[in-house]
Amino acid sequence: MNQEYISISHLSKKFNKDFVLKDVNAVLPKGEILGFLGPSGAGKTTTIKILTGQLKPTSGEAYVLGIDCTHIDERIYEQIGIVTDVSGVYERMSVYDNLKYFARLLNAPVSGIDPLLKRIGLYEHRKKPAGRLSKGQKQRLILARAVLHRPKVLFLDEPTSGLDPSTALEIHRLLLELKDEGMSIFLTTHNMEEATKLCGRVALLNEGVIVEYGTPEEICLKYNRTKKYRVQLTDGTKHTLMQGDGTVARIADWIEKDQIETLHTCEPTLETVFLEVTGRELQ
Amino acid sequence: MNNTQKHTGRSAVAPAVTLPKRKLIHIRKLSAILEMKSTALFSKNFIIGPIFAIGFAFLMDRVYNVITDGAVDMSGMALAMGVLMNICMTGVYVTAACLAEEKEKYTLRTLMTSSVNGLEFCLGSLIPVIVMQAVVNVLCVFASGFSMNPGEWAAYLAVSTACAIIGSVIGMIFGIFAKNQMSAGTITTPALLVLMMIPMFSSMIGAMEKVSSFLFTGVVYDAILKISMGEPPLEAKGIVILLAEILISVVLFLALYRKNGLER
Repeated sequence: MNQEYISISHLSKKFNKDFVLKDVNAVLPKGEILGFLGPSGAGKTTTIKILTGQLKPTSGEAYVLGIDCTHIDERIYEQIGIVTDVSGVYERMSVYDNLKYFARLLNAPVSGIDPLLKRIGLYEHRKKPAGRLSKGQKQRLILARAVLHRPKVLFLDEPTSGLDPSTALEIHRLLLELKDEGMSIFLTTHNMEEATKLCGRVALLNEGVIVEYGTPEEICLKYNRTKKYRVQLTDGTKHTLMQGDGTVARIADWIEKDQIETLHTCEPTLETVFLEVTGRELQ
Repeated sequence: MNNTQKHTGRSAVAPAVTLPKRKLIHIRKLSAILEMKSTALFSKNFIIGPIFAIGFAFLMDRVYNVITDGAVDMSGMALAMGVLMNICMTGVYVTAACLAEEKEKYTLRTLMTSSVNGLEFCLGSLIPVIVMQAVVNVLCVFASGFSMNPGEWAAYLAVSTACAIIGSVIGMIFGIFAKNQMSAGTITTPALLVLMMIPMFSSMIGAMEKVSSFLFTGVVYDAILKISMGEPPLEAKGIVILLAEILISVVLFLALYRKNGLER
């Protein structure tokens, strides 16, 4: 049986009279990426704070590595890594010294710092004060610090928010490598492309409620009600065809005459599913 | 049952890790924090306090020398002012500003989610600043040109270090309430004025003398002046006040820490 590294069961959180999380259920098995996808204020950060012991839930249960989140103490932090929008670096210390400091705190080998710096492309900046790094470099340093001790579970709260596309791609590549090495990753994002690319399962979160849960493909196919095909022919004309009378024959005819330049199915994206389910946009 | 509930049967969750036994303090973590905090104290934001205290003791000695034409040795008074400055600027302000900086730069939250417990962080923050105050208190003696016999040295170090501890714990209390370094400066200023000015002007106004005798800064100020006059530096009342204020400051800090954590 695949081991569940995170298990969330009927989790709710109330601030004053308002629920920010309502009856949330999800699991993250070992070596997978689970994405919590939703707009700002959907409850994504609150979920991470509860899972990492920084907030107490109002009701329900959440377990990380089999440990009840309401009983988390500092020992669990040697087993997990956290990257949030309020993760800081010591700006006067060099990139290397930042990692060395946390390596000592987390009982990680200092010898692992240089290979990690090379892997995230910061080796040439290792002596630079962290305060002089660009936003993308700082984010990579924060990510490096979070994985320095090879945690079993990595929590990422909008890790590519505000970063340029090439830095975001670098981070995506690193996350997929870490997943392949067996790390379980809990990711929050409002970027549906990121979620589709990285996550084995996603939970679409709206106003504290999970409105859809499953693999991105399952969710998209579930809402693929009007099956459409988009065809571009070699003469440059474009056609959108609904499945039904004559469509298959028409496409077959074009294929036979070698007239098709491109042919796509038009299933919905997570963003259009979210819009359909909630009436809200993700961004 | 919705499509998420089928994945969340509690019985499927077995502990995936065995955590080690919880320890009060890990020497490895404490020594890392001590090293980092000691380095931080020498940054230009914070080193100004200790340097200012040594300079103040030196300057006041020269000023008194000029005022009295060298006829009266006022080096004890100069030392007392340098020590007051050190305890207030380094002990209270620097400690509060250091904690506020960790909050301002979001490194405190990162530390607390990196396997550091509150006791390790507090000790790691307090020890370097107390040691720095003790060293500066010694340097102030040389800067002011004050001379003491070994017994007086022992009494001086004991009293000034006790005050350094109280000042630093008070600094941590202010640090809990300070959101950033600027607010640390704002909220510590009234306290610094009270802790410095009341002992300094205690000889001029009777009411201030009374208040000063109950302040730890007043006790150290009086003790140094008594040493300079060849009198025993501390009476039982002074010792009780220092011990009581160590206890009160620590209990108050712990109560506020339990209520608010280090981030209010």
